[in-house]
Amino acid sequence: MKHEKKFSIEKQQAKWGFAFTIPCLLFFAVFSFYPIISAFITSLTNRDAIKRTWDFIGLDNYVYLFTQSNGGFSLINSLKATGIFTIGTFIPMVVVSLILAVMIMQLRKPGQSKMFELAFYTPAVLSSVVAATIWMILFQPTGLFNQLSNFVMRSSGRDFQWLTNDNMLRISTIIVYFWKYIGYFTILFITGLASIPPTIYEAAIVDGSSRWHTFWKITLPLLKPTIMLVSIMAMLQCLKTFSTQYMFVQGGTAREPIDVITMNIYYTGVVNRRLGRSSAMSIILFVIMLFFTFLQFKTQKGDEDVEY
Amino acid sequence: MKKALVLLLCLVMTLTSVFAQGASEPKADEPITLEFWTHEDSARQVLEERYIEEFKQLHPNVTVNVTRQSAEKLRELIQTAFASGEGPSFFNLPIENEFQYIEAGRVAPADYKTLGFKDAKDLLANYQDGMIDAVYYDGDVYGLPLELTNWSIFLNKKVFRDAGLDPEKDYPKTWEEMKEVSKKIVIRDGDIITRRGFDFRYSYELTYFIPMVEQLGGSLSEKDGCVNKEAWVKALTFMKEWGPQGENLGNPTLTAARKLFNKDNNDIAMCNTGLYQEARILSDNAAFYNSGEWMVVPYPVFEDAVKDVAGCYYGHFYMVNADKPKAEQQMAWELIKYFLLTEGHAEEYLTQVGLIQPTKALMEGATYAAQPYSEVFKNDFARSHIVYYGKGATEIQSAINSAIKQVMLQGTDPSVAYDALQKNVLEILAD
Repeated sequence: MKHEKKFSIEKQQAKWGFAFTIPCLLFFAVFSFYPIISAFITSLTNRDAIKRTWDFIGLDNYVYLFTQSNGGFSLINSLKATGIFTIGTFIPMVVVSLILAVMIMQLRKPGQSKMFELAFYTPAVLSSVVAATIWMILFQPTGLFNQLSNFVMRSSGRDFQWLTNDNMLRISTIIVYFWKYIGYFTILFITGLASIPPTIYEAAIVDGSSRWHTFWKITLPLLKPTIMLVSIMAMLQCLKTFSTQYMFVQGGTAREPIDVITMNIYYTGVVNRRLGRSSAMSIILFVIMLFFTFLQFKTQKGDEDVEY
Repeated sequence: MKKALVLLLCLVMTLTSVFAQGASEPKADEPITLEFWTHEDSARQVLEERYIEEFKQLHPNVTVNVTRQSAEKLRELIQTAFASGEGPSFFNLPIENEFQYIEAGRVAPADYKTLGFKDAKDLLANYQDGMIDAVYYDGDVYGLPLELTNWSIFLNKKVFRDAGLDPEKDYPKTWEEMKEVSKKIVIRDGDIITRRGFDFRYSYELTYFIPMVEQLGGSLSEKDGCVNKEAWVKALTFMKEWGPQGENLGNPTLTAARKLFNKDNNDIAMCNTGLYQEARILSDNAAFYNSGEWMVVPYPVFEDAVKDVAGCYYGHFYMVNADKPKAEQQMAWELIKYFLLTEGHAEEYLTQVGLIQPTKALMEGATYAAQPYSEVFKNDFARSHIVYYGKGATEIQSAINSAIKQVMLQGTDPSVAYDALQKNVLEILAD
């Protein structure tokens, strides 16, 4: 009898819980689930943006993307460009934001740490388009970055080709992205670091642990959930990068070295009207992101349950 | 039973009459809202805002909502809107982006009666021969030209003199001279260019680059792609020599030449643009416009050209969305007529905005002749043809742009770049 009553209360609570999640589920269904299904169906067609009719062509778009050049802007090149950008941005961003967070946490005066947090976070608030436009000016041969490069390299009148050389162009987009999002991930790490109880550090000091030893043996293991969160978020964000590359190409740079998948989706679908083919690219990107997220969860499984 | 049958018949008749009215001619006072999407042009905006106000006084039931975007953004906006079935009442785009709407049946044939013509032939007869053939499709005309534009070379005389050149004598007549003159004008701090002689309008390759290829005997064909490898490689080699891998006279990542030209800041001597630039110089820098320190010279040719071809001309045509109700379509044509065919308007578009609407009356009239350097543009028109607007025009332009950047910025051998380009163009055409 007692058991029945408990079950009834749980059921009652579950009903309310379900009711509260309905708006979120609806939002997800309309704005995430429906577009994914719709994109998948479109990817099986030869739909053109302005033609009234289209046909189902099965997996032809997928076969085309892996065998043809897509008018000179192949999916294979886009996978390469996205891979270079993601590896070049995601790993340094996670490492440097962690180092910055630890350094900021070391500051004794709260005012100082707040000032640094604000300074690092500010670029994240700026629109990506505005940020890319500003950096385009800075990367011009007559721009500040080239002058700074000449100053550092003790040269004069040298064009470091920030926008014209393939590798320098890739580095330029990485710098813009790194500058824009480093503060955001630093703040996430600061939040993670703040949640580690100070008593653990106090015990470590009593035991005579050095700072370096404390970082490796206490901070890093206890920060694993935050590291996983930040690395997944950073990687997904890098895989979805668009505005920086788009603005650079609009500014006249070559497209191939920085033709990331999202930009190829945009040009194929919006500019060249091939909605079926661009939807197939979107689905491929979705599968890649799903795979890497799953992989990260899988490799970090078991380390998640951190107890203080 | 009988009563029920009579009632049913009455209902059917009532409904029929209601729907029949919906499809009939619109009532004069029926409220109509026109969505008009166009590209940004400050001088034209002033003129057309005035026309719209005048039109609204003549048609108090009409509301006109205008959306202005950059040319690049507008193309994408219109395409996306049509894809979702939400296009504007009427719009304009360059013909190489617009023709596909005619082919796909998304724009309506001209309403000849509203426009004041008997039929398509009567409308065509109003314009210079062949000038609006691009919008004549399956016996109907699908758009009226807001502008038909060709590009010649604008030149800053002060910069020429500063480089020790006489603008009247030393202006470049050939591409080889363009390179030599630019080498004399260019100023660099080490490798860094601080003043350019001339630079191209990159990303408009169908307009400026195809004529260069044609001068050398090549062409772009809807059937065979990039015809005559030798000519294409020669033109690509010229571009390579122009860029940072060659003589370092300019490149696509630098600020667009025509944007710098109006400022008269001693950083560019020549740019490639249309008659409309005159109105923009006046608007941006009246002192420079009035100084007489600029001039317009013809589009150059290669020394060993086998064909005398000037830069292609392109058109922006006002077109009406075929998906809109008939009343809205008719009113859109009415407004287009007011914009373009009202007496004196073509002359205002020309004198205040620098846009050429190629009617016989305008092109043979005194207003066109009085426009500064109109003769240069007229002669270049005679040497040119309309831009390629056939299958895959946008994609082919991107592919050519990519080939040019490969040779200019990435140091690719022009022959290798051509082979890749031809493969890509054939793939686009076969797709």
